[in-house]
Amino acid sequence: MRLKGIYILGFCLAFASFVTFNPNRVNQQSIELITSDSIFEAGSKMVLKFSSSKLIPSQLYCSNSFGSTLINPTFNNQVLSFVIPSFMAKNAGVVNWNFINTKNPISGNFKIVPKQEVAKMESYLGPPSIEAGGSDFAMLVVIPTDAFDNALKDSTEVSINHQFLNFEKNETVLTNNLIAYKNIYSYEKTGRILVSSFCLGENSKEHDINVMAAIPTNFVIESSRHHEYADGNQITTFYTSVLKDRFNNTVNDGTYVEFYITNTQGNILKTSGTTINGIANAKMIHPDHEELWNIKAFIPGMAESNTLILNYKKVITDFEVAFSENHRQITVGPLQSFMNQMIPDGLQVTTSILINNKIVNNISKTSQNGFVKFNLSTDEFPNNTYEIRIQAAGIEKNFKTIKLW
Amino acid sequence: MVKTNKNILRSILILSYLAVIAFLVFGASAIFSYLNTGADRSKMLHTEIKKEAKYLPKIVWDSISNEGRPMDLQTLNSLEKDYLDAWYVKHICYLTNTTTGLEDYYTENARKNLFSFIEANKKEGIHIEATTLEHHPNLDFFSEDGQLAVLTDTNVVEYKTLYKKDSLAFETIEISNYKVTLLLEDGFWRIRHLVKEHSENYQDKGEPIDVSNINIKGINYYPQNTPWDMFGEAFSIKTILNDFRIIKNAGLNTIRIFIQYEDFGKGNVKPEKLEKLKKVLDLAEAEQLKVVVTLFDFYGDYSVLDYTINQRHAETIVSTFKNHNAIIAWDIKNEPNLDFDSRGKNKVLAWLKHMINLVKSIDKTHAVTIGWSNAESATILKNELDFVSFHYYENLDNLDTTYKNLKSMITDKPVVLGEFGLSSYSGIWNFYGESEKTQAEYYKKAQHIISKNNIPFMSWTLYDFNKIPKEVVGRLPWRKRTQEHFGFINQKGETKPAFKYISKL
Repeated sequence: MRLKGIYILGFCLAFASFVTFNPNRVNQQSIELITSDSIFEAGSKMVLKFSSSKLIPSQLYCSNSFGSTLINPTFNNQVLSFVIPSFMAKNAGVVNWNFINTKNPISGNFKIVPKQEVAKMESYLGPPSIEAGGSDFAMLVVIPTDAFDNALKDSTEVSINHQFLNFEKNETVLTNNLIAYKNIYSYEKTGRILVSSFCLGENSKEHDINVMAAIPTNFVIESSRHHEYADGNQITTFYTSVLKDRFNNTVNDGTYVEFYITNTQGNILKTSGTTINGIANAKMIHPDHEELWNIKAFIPGMAESNTLILNYKKVITDFEVAFSENHRQITVGPLQSFMNQMIPDGLQVTTSILINNKIVNNISKTSQNGFVKFNLSTDEFPNNTYEIRIQAAGIEKNFKTIKLW
Repeated sequence: MVKTNKNILRSILILSYLAVIAFLVFGASAIFSYLNTGADRSKMLHTEIKKEAKYLPKIVWDSISNEGRPMDLQTLNSLEKDYLDAWYVKHICYLTNTTTGLEDYYTENARKNLFSFIEANKKEGIHIEATTLEHHPNLDFFSEDGQLAVLTDTNVVEYKTLYKKDSLAFETIEISNYKVTLLLEDGFWRIRHLVKEHSENYQDKGEPIDVSNINIKGINYYPQNTPWDMFGEAFSIKTILNDFRIIKNAGLNTIRIFIQYEDFGKGNVKPEKLEKLKKVLDLAEAEQLKVVVTLFDFYGDYSVLDYTINQRHAETIVSTFKNHNAIIAWDIKNEPNLDFDSRGKNKVLAWLKHMINLVKSIDKTHAVTIGWSNAESATILKNELDFVSFHYYENLDNLDTTYKNLKSMITDKPVVLGEFGLSSYSGIWNFYGESEKTQAEYYKKAQHIISKNNIPFMSWTLYDFNKIPKEVVGRLPWRKRTQEHFGFINQKGETKPAFKYISKL
């Protein structure tokens, strides 16, 4: 009984082996892929071999990441060999193929993996300048590539180094989606961060990030002038204190500061300057009459200064007016300054000529050697009686009835 | 007598003088107005942008949730444009084996790979006609400075035909995933790395739709005054309503209409045309008529690089009307077998297969057919179509056997007689033509065969037309005249004797 069982088992096994081997025997007649490798390294020799009893006209369609082509076989020892051309063997990625010219189409694919050696570190850094303070950052993107310009496989370690002042840091990131990237945050000080990367024994070139000062904080302004007289001639210079951001970094040269000067009438004069070594200065000519200036500076949208008050003293207390040439020539002067010196040329004097309280004309002239002369021509001002007002250095003189003839 | 003659002579002279003057004035004014046309100042500098979409594969972005800098829509649009252009330029370069344009869309290192392919293919005499039909990109990464992006383009459907020494070597449709790195260089997004991560053969077969109980008693329809231009300037819904009533009252239940490809705007289907089509379909529904909509009329290129445009055209129309009750079937193309000789049978069939699959992928309820021009071609693609339709303009005596023969080859699907008819024209261009009487006899006989075999039918056509566009039968007058007289209603609007047999014996 036991023997019988073994006998049946043996018979079954024999039958089973016959069944399983049988298809192979049939396939020997037809075309079949012999190559068993399905993964190749980029740049290696790749040959797809098919068993065939004879050379049959055939081609291999082959397609990789960049394109497709047809390959002709060589026939040797009942094997059809298709050599993948070198330009295809270089590109990583899936290569799908079809054996053309069989009744039962054979198709398949294999994978080319990048050579896990870095030939070139392609790295991109941006933006090139960032703000101090630790919230702004630049991003370094690294694509380690092999000798055939393939990005290395995902999860390759890339170490990213950076140096700032006396501080160096080294961090490791993994490639994903063909790239590795790292955000490099600024520190509280301004300066330059040097960045490089390293992967599988290959170093990248050096990149640098300029860390610029953050936005300035409020500041103080001062003024400097040669005297405090409103002579309309000298220049007052306004200075800022050294502009700093909140981390005590001096702001970048060229930061624009606007000075707003409000006078007693509420009018605004504006002057501006840009910083050098944190200090901006701006200039303004003295007023030509007694004035009180309120000065405040702004860095638009970022910071402002205190208010500075400047007083300008009157220099001309009085002046004389003489009429001659049938009252048609008016001589104003001498215009004398604070030490009784002749006022420097350029003080503005305005004459208004009125009839019946209506202004006929305003004539403005600037002083020369302490005097201003007005000539009222007969063409413009026929013989009549006029009212004449003369203004200079904030003083007005009125002559009610001046007869011209 | 002499005096009268003199007067006649005088008046002739005066009249001819007037005629000459009138002619000269007319001529001068015609020249003047011709010279004035195109003198529009606004067009003087030719500043208008003449841009035609050349490549419109279906592109669907995954929801944007990338690493790095948040992506804005404007950048994404320019990225998409340059990325698709990169594919298009690549297709053209593989087709012509030239490298023009590649430098705009591939970085210096990346384009070396393409150059070596093109060089090798050129040497072997291989050229590739390829296109991509679908892209499903997903943005993985966008760098902080906005100069580098990585995307994964999944399920890219690529159609390729490879030719070696100008004969077809291989045809394939693949579906692949690509990983792409792009760099923004001098205003162009250029491909830096391209890695195919997965690829397999693409099998897209639409589900068959059972139309075994189809009941078509119909007619091919164009309005009398606007044949082959139904949706043009002279579109009149009133005329069409009137015609639909005539058709309905004649006992018919179906019409077959035609969508002119260029007229509808090729890839960018014009909304006003869709609006007109909608009016026609709504009206048909109201009048209880079913409609066979024939797409791609007057189109005849079939080139692979045109696929995306064709696809967008069909997609727009079919998706707009896929739920419309009036539609009974989509006819992919009228008589495409006539283009086999000029365009190549393989090319036309590949195009047809693609369009069948496309329409079926969008509209899963309406049947798809192709109006073959003769019975011999009717078995082509019979497995892909939901019903077979063929046109028959040959001797009626053979219709019975032809149909029975067809039915024996196509057992599982209805076979529809999509067009048949006889021109009643005889005149100076054809003395041996048919008369209205023989036309009536023809239809009587045809209806006899139809009812005997229970053939679904659509006759050609309702009206005698006044003007046949040259695209239909060419310029030859005997062809045009013949084509003008296929109707059941003559040019004056009177029913011809054949009208009696329009739907039944």
